[in-house]
Order: sequence, then structure tokens, then C-alpha cells
Amino acid sequence: MSKIPCALGIIALGALGAVALAACGDKKTELSFTRFFGSCEAEYGKVTDVKQAHGECGIITSIANQFTATNPDHVVVKPQIVEWGPYYDQLSARIVSGDIPAVAVMHESALGDFVARNLVEPLDDGLKSIGISPAEFTDQARRGTVIGGKVYALPFDTWSWLWHINLNMMKKAELVNADGSPILPTTPDELITQAEKFKAATGKPYFAWPTVNDSAAAYRTFLTLVAQQGATVFPPGGKTVDVRSDAARRALELINRLYGEGHVKTGADYGAANQAFLGGEAGIVVVGTWTIDDFLNQSKQAGSPLAGGYTVVPFPPIFGKKAVFADGHSWVLLKGGTRDDRSRKAALGLLRALWDNDFEWSRTGHLPARRSVADSATYKALPFRANIAEITSTAYSVPSDVPRQRAVEVAVGEEVSSMYLTKKPIPEVQTAIEQRVGKLLVGAN
Amino acid sequence: MTATRHPMSGGLGGRLAILAVVLLAAIWMLPLAWVFAASFKPNDVLMVRTDGLLSPPFTLRNYENLIGTSSLLRWLANSAIVSLGQTALVLVLSSLAGYGFARTSFPGKRWVFGFVLAGLAVPEQAILIPLHRLFVGLALHNTYTALIFPRLAAPFGVYLMTQYFKAIPRELEEAALLDNASRLKIFLRIVLPMSLPAQATLGIFSFLTAWNDYLWPLVSATRPDMYTLTVGLASIQTNFAQAEGIGFLMAQAIFAGLPIFIVYLFFQKHIVAAVSGTTVG
Repeated sequence: MSKIPCALGIIALGALGAVALAACGDKKTELSFTRFFGSCEAEYGKVTDVKQAHGECGIITSIANQFTATNPDHVVVKPQIVEWGPYYDQLSARIVSGDIPAVAVMHESALGDFVARNLVEPLDDGLKSIGISPAEFTDQARRGTVIGGKVYALPFDTWSWLWHINLNMMKKAELVNADGSPILPTTPDELITQAEKFKAATGKPYFAWPTVNDSAAAYRTFLTLVAQQGATVFPPGGKTVDVRSDAARRALELINRLYGEGHVKTGADYGAANQAFLGGEAGIVVVGTWTIDDFLNQSKQAGSPLAGGYTVVPFPPIFGKKAVFADGHSWVLLKGGTRDDRSRKAALGLLRALWDNDFEWSRTGHLPARRSVADSATYKALPFRANIAEITSTAYSVPSDVPRQRAVEVAVGEEVSSMYLTKKPIPEVQTAIEQRVGKLLVGAN
Repeated sequence: MTATRHPMSGGLGGRLAILAVVLLAAIWMLPLAWVFAASFKPNDVLMVRTDGLLSPPFTLRNYENLIGTSSLLRWLANSAIVSLGQTALVLVLSSLAGYGFARTSFPGKRWVFGFVLAGLAVPEQAILIPLHRLFVGLALHNTYTALIFPRLAAPFGVYLMTQYFKAIPRELEEAALLDNASRLKIFLRIVLPMSLPAQATLGIFSFLTAWNDYLWPLVSATRPDMYTLTVGLASIQTNFAQAEGIGFLMAQAIFAGLPIFIVYLFFQKHIVAAVSGTTVG
């Protein structure tokens, strides 16, 4: 046998071996990443620079892209995007059928239910392994993700209930200070007086909030007003609801009076309430953190009723105490979602990437979950963030031992709405809430 | 010979009737026109006001963003496979069952027919969880089988076909029976062709139901590559699309409705005939 063919054979074998090794080295780990926030593939499908992205969809898409492009372990993130409304229905269906995603987004208000059903992995050790300490969470983020002393989710943000204000209209009603900031009411009587003054000066209602096809707004406002009196609708234990307290009654009476006296834009759903505010049909829209950028952009447009006259503040302490309803988005590892060490490591790597981009995410308007970001000058330099940063410590969220919070929100919100829409007497509203919510709380595991 | 005069033609009354019908049609079309016009408007403009749709600015951005979704064609194909498969199988099963109920006798027929009709009173939501568990047990979620099979139990289809077959004169079949034709042959060669209007009606309803189905595909087809168009389009909406993405929503509505519109254009005569209960000459 000649030496040349032999050498060629060795080279060929070597080449094959190298290809095989390379193939092994290139073995990709696919990581399912289930979330809402929509899809914006056309605009951000290939964007890996998170700083260039805007909006919830753009930023979350580019974070995932960036992680896929830069992680050294060849992890490929496979987004599985679901509509926001039925997200938890589909997630539950997936868990039942064993098609469990590795990393999933979860509202902190929903986390308690999943933890109670033993579906979520504790993350204490996992977060430690990627260098994240719960001490870095803001107060509110910790309240939302630590249950029974264990961390069950990586907090991503806190979103809350704000007053978005048309300063141009407030100025017309002489409700601005010398420095141009709005004069905010500090008592229920002041609020009514301001609303009357506003209406007399502008002919428009003081408030817009969704009153049609929406139960969330009424629920959040009601809980905020109760919390501002140092009380709660959900006593410890998570099995009862208390809407008979003086605090609850006062909150209901105030909401009822505002609507009954024409200080709230009527017949508006979520979109129409925002539209009324942007169109100069109401002075203040009560809505969440996520609209800040959109409203700010509108205020930069000449000819807009909001032009040069937009500001936003946390829901003012009408009853004295600083407190405002809040919830947050977080990331969980569902039990059975990561099947081996490799995929678990990949999932934790993605959590780290999400945590590292907490500032970028806060550009959406949501408050950071990371204390260092919330305290940073960079964050506070973003428009209006200095106004609302206090919410990371003053927020009120429903305790995690209250089950079925999303169904509870609908029940309470519908009853409060029917109070002002159909003039249902307050005692009947209280009874209806007790009955509907009571069934939900007692019936839960 | 006396010419038959169309009630809508000629005379002031006829013209007024036509005018009224056209006006009603225009009013009916207004929301569709609004959807179409809004799909060409920028989202930030629609966030402020949704009137003035006929004045600039206009944009194709909503359609660009929609078409830029890589899974869109896959979802479209999934919807087509599921809708066509479901329609074909519902037609076959309902026709066979309907013929059986209309023309054959067997012990307990009335009870069985009553049992089938009772299915009309059972809402989809009531059986969703057991149905889901059944398909978990069969390990069939995220398959076309899971998307198609649960909808094949179609009480309305069985009822419609039964009633239609009952209305066909028995004499036609008896003549064929005298010629030694088998029951199956009579069904395929005589009864089935005569039932085309009913088949068309059932086909249209089945197809539209399957095309618009949302709840079952949402919980059964959980892998994005198995999404149907309804679930897929909903998944790409932003959380507050009803305020900040109205134009995109409207573009989605137009896109989702387009295949149905095209089907209607091609089969217009048959569809009108089916709905009015006549045959196409």
C-alpha cells in the first residue's frame, strides 16, 4: 500500500472528525420563551441593539435577539407569542398537555396562583448562580415575587396607576402653580372643588377613564383610594374580602360622586378614554405607566391639544397616605419547562439578559424592578421618571395569598362600574362584591 | 303569452324599493369601509381620532408590518387546511347521518336523533376542558387532527341534511330500488346530487365557522407553527392595540377576511343560491 493514499485517508478521517466535532460544538439549545407584548418581526426581527428599539414589543424582541446573537452557549431563543387577554388560559392548557415553555412572562398578580398549584420553580439558587440577589429588587418588586420567603420569579418591572394631565387645560382652569406644575387635590373635597372649577372653565370633564367594556380601571382606582386610607379590601389570609369598612365606603362614595356630577367622561372604553384625553375632551386620564411615551410624543406635535402641556404624576394621595395600585411583569421558570441542566442553564442565561436590560425596558414607561436602575440618574433623566419613581416603594398590590386575582378584578370592577353606570345603591354593590368575590376566594385551593 | 314582471322593476314603487335596498346596503357597508380606510392610516393618528379617515396621512406600514411576520403564510395554510378538511368531513358525515335518519329505520332512531339534536344545546365552553384532556390523553394537541376532529360532531349539519333528505320525494328512490340499485348507489347517484343546495349551505357555514374559530385552536394549537390565522393574528397584537395599534388591527381584519371575500367572488352564484334555497342553472 502506498503512503500517499494512506496519508489521504488519514487526512480525510481527520477532516471528518473535525466536522463531527464542529457539529457537536455547534449544537444549539433551543429555548422556548413564552410571552405577550405582541410581535413586531417586520420592524425588529433582526435588531440586536436594544438601545435602538422602542416600545414593549420592540425592546423585548431585541433583548431576545441580542441574547441569541451573543450568548456563548449557542442558545437560540424561540419566542412563543400569545395574545395578552387569553394568555393564562393558553399557558394553563399547555401545562396540562405537557407542552411547557422554559421561560414565561407572568404578572405578579397571577404568580400566587401558579405557586399555590406548585407549577413554578423557586429561583433562589438559580438567581444566585447568575449573580442576581433579591436585595437588588425594589421594595415593590420583592413584594410581588417573593412568596413564603422564596423567590419565584425574576421581576422585570412595576406598572402602576397614574394621572396623565393636560396642563394646557389645567392652566385655563387656573389649576397650575407658578412653576407650571399642576395643583393637585389633597382631599376628596378639594378634588370635587377642582373638578367643578375645571368644568366651569373648560366645559369639559376633569377625568377620563374607561367606563365601558372595562372593569380594570374601576378596580384599580377603588383599591388605590382604599389603600390611601391605610386600609385594605383583602384582609390577611386571602379568604375574605372587606368592602364594608368606612374606607371602602368613602372610596365608593367618592367615585360615585365624581361620575354622578359629570366629572368623568361618559361612554368611553379604553381607547376612547385615551382619545378623549389626547383630543382635549378631558383634563386628566387615569391610566397606567405604559402610555407615557405615546402621550409625550403627542405633546410634541404642534396643533395637538396636549402640545407642550403634558405631565404625569402618581395617583395623588386624595385620602392622605401615598399609595397607588400596582402590579408588575416578571419571568418564571415553570416546572418541567427545562428538561436538563443545559436547558436550565440556558433559561437562567436569558433571565440574566432580561435583568441586564431592565433600564432599557423602563424606557417603555414601566418602572424598573432593579433598585440600582430606579435610583440611577440615567433613569431619572428619562421624561417624567423622577415624578413617578417613588411608586417603587409606595405602591400597593394585592397580597399574593389572594387567589384568582384576575377574576377578582373583574368581579369587583364590574360591581363598582355598575354602581356609577346604573346607579346601583352602594349597599347592594357591597353585597354583590362580597358574594361574587367570596365565592372565588373560598372556592380556590 | 304574458310576461312576468319583476316586482323590483319599473314604476315608482320599484325604484323606491331599489333605492331603499341600496341605502340599506350602503349603511351595512359603512363599518367595513371604515375598517378598510383605517387600515391605511398611521396608528399614532388613529390614537387621537378615528374620524376623518378619508383625508391624509395614509400609510402602508400596517400591511408591511403584517406581511413582515414570517409565520403569516404558515398560519394562512393552517387555517385553509383545517377549514377545508373540517368542511369536507362535516359534509360527508352529516350527509350520511342525515340520510340514515331520513330514510332508514332502526331501533331507537327517534332517541338517537333526539340525542344528536341535544348537542345543539351544549355550549362549546362546557366541554372544553374534558375535550382538552381527551386530546392530552391521545397526545394529539398541536396536530391537524386535534384542530379538525372535535368539530366534526355537527348536530346542525345532521339536522339540516335530515330535513332536506326528507323533503326529496321517495318515489325517485323507489324507482331506483325497483331497478335493483343498492342503498349506497341510490344515495350517491340520486339523493346526493339533489341535495347540493343544502350541501352548499352547510359547506359555507362549516367553512366560516372553522375559519373564524378561536377558542379551541387557542388551547390546542399552542406551538406557533400550528397556530391558525385567528390565533396567530391575535398573538401579534400589542397589549393595548385597541388604543395604540388600531390601524394594524384593521389591516389584520382585512387580511383575515380577504380569503373569504375571494371565495365569495368565485362562488357568488352558488352561495346566493344556497342561502336562498334554489339551484344554480
